[in-house]
Amino acid sequence: MPKQEEDRILREWTPILLRTILIAAMVTLVAGLVLTYTFAPDYYVERYQAVQHGRLIGKETLGLLFDRVRQGNPHAVLTIGLFVLTLVPLARVAFCFLLFIRERDYTYVALTAYVLAGLIVGVLAGSAG
Amino acid sequence: MLEILIDLLALAVGAGFIGAISGLGGGVFIVPALVIVAHMPMKVAVGASLISVVATSAGASVAFVRDGWTNLKVAMVLECATVTGAVIGAYLAGVVPTVVLELLFAAMMLQSAYFTVTKRGDDILTKGDPLAERLELSGEVPDLSGNSVHYEVVNVPQGGALMVVAGLMSGLLGIGSGALKVMAMDYIMHLPLKVSSATSNFMIGVTAGAGALVFLARGDVATTIAAPVAIGVTVGALAGSRVLPHLKVEALRTVFVIILLLIAAEMGWRALSGI
Repeated sequence: MPKQEEDRILREWTPILLRTILIAAMVTLVAGLVLTYTFAPDYYVERYQAVQHGRLIGKETLGLLFDRVRQGNPHAVLTIGLFVLTLVPLARVAFCFLLFIRERDYTYVALTAYVLAGLIVGVLAGSAG
Repeated sequence: MLEILIDLLALAVGAGFIGAISGLGGGVFIVPALVIVAHMPMKVAVGASLISVVATSAGASVAFVRDGWTNLKVAMVLECATVTGAVIGAYLAGVVPTVVLELLFAAMMLQSAYFTVTKRGDDILTKGDPLAERLELSGEVPDLSGNSVHYEVVNVPQGGALMVVAGLMSGLLGIGSGALKVMAMDYIMHLPLKVSSATSNFMIGVTAGAGALVFLARGDVATTIAAPVAIGVTVGALAGSRVLPHLKVEALRTVFVIILLLIAAEMGWRALSGI
């Protein structure tokens, strides 16, 4: 594929991809807040005050989180929204990774793989820490 | 609950707006807003801020990608440094005493103030250094009359070293470290301003994303705070970027510097007086 064609695809598709994830995250967050306001406003105030005193809920496994979303727990919906938001930069790096593979530019495939690995190590370091 | 939500949204919209028109990003303003106004612990403010930095970077990058000024190769080389710094920084943020974080934040505010008052101009190079040439980092950028200008890149290791620091600060303090990144690319690596701004925006999202993932996985993101803050900062940043072309930013520069110095003083005072 000619270089210009690839540039065009990258330039047209990246904004669409980024905007879609961003909008999905924002919609999830707004929905989570509306659900919280409707069903658990007291819990929200309680959590807010606890956080002011430095008491966080702590670690949750992804499985537990999805269980809570299925039960319609508004707080879990908010957490999912935040996770979706962090997918935006991940998706952008992954997109570059595919582009460099296509171009057979192996130096950059390696560098992009390092960045992706760094993001994954971050999750593991956080889970362990 | 509505009262708390409105307060948080208002703080976040304001921080996102000022972040966008000053070019410093929302994180620089949302962390002090949450710590000083909403009385949140530093760690909570950092976690919420990292998430909102990801959101604003994503919002801004849509325009930057379309313009095509982002140098993906420069971004990816330097991203190796910033992501390493950010993961270490975010990990350390869980163990470093708040006093140290507050002092570092004050120092970063002073750096941002210096960045805001420094006049910058393009110093386009026609010959890159061997490493930059091997990594094929050169590119093209349109000049004022719309003609394409070729630029070369130098000092990759030095730029990379500063990027590790930028990443560390990002993970520790919840800011995008855009001021530090643009400075490294402008002054050290001699990239044209348009390219360094667009490339820095891409990098900010990835760096903050790396930090945010550590915080999220550790359970250190207070959803109650981060969700409305992310929404508010995004709305504020979008509004800021809309009005930016109609503002006389030069005239506002003094105001930004005064705000940054006040934040530096307040954070420094907090650290030293042990509030």
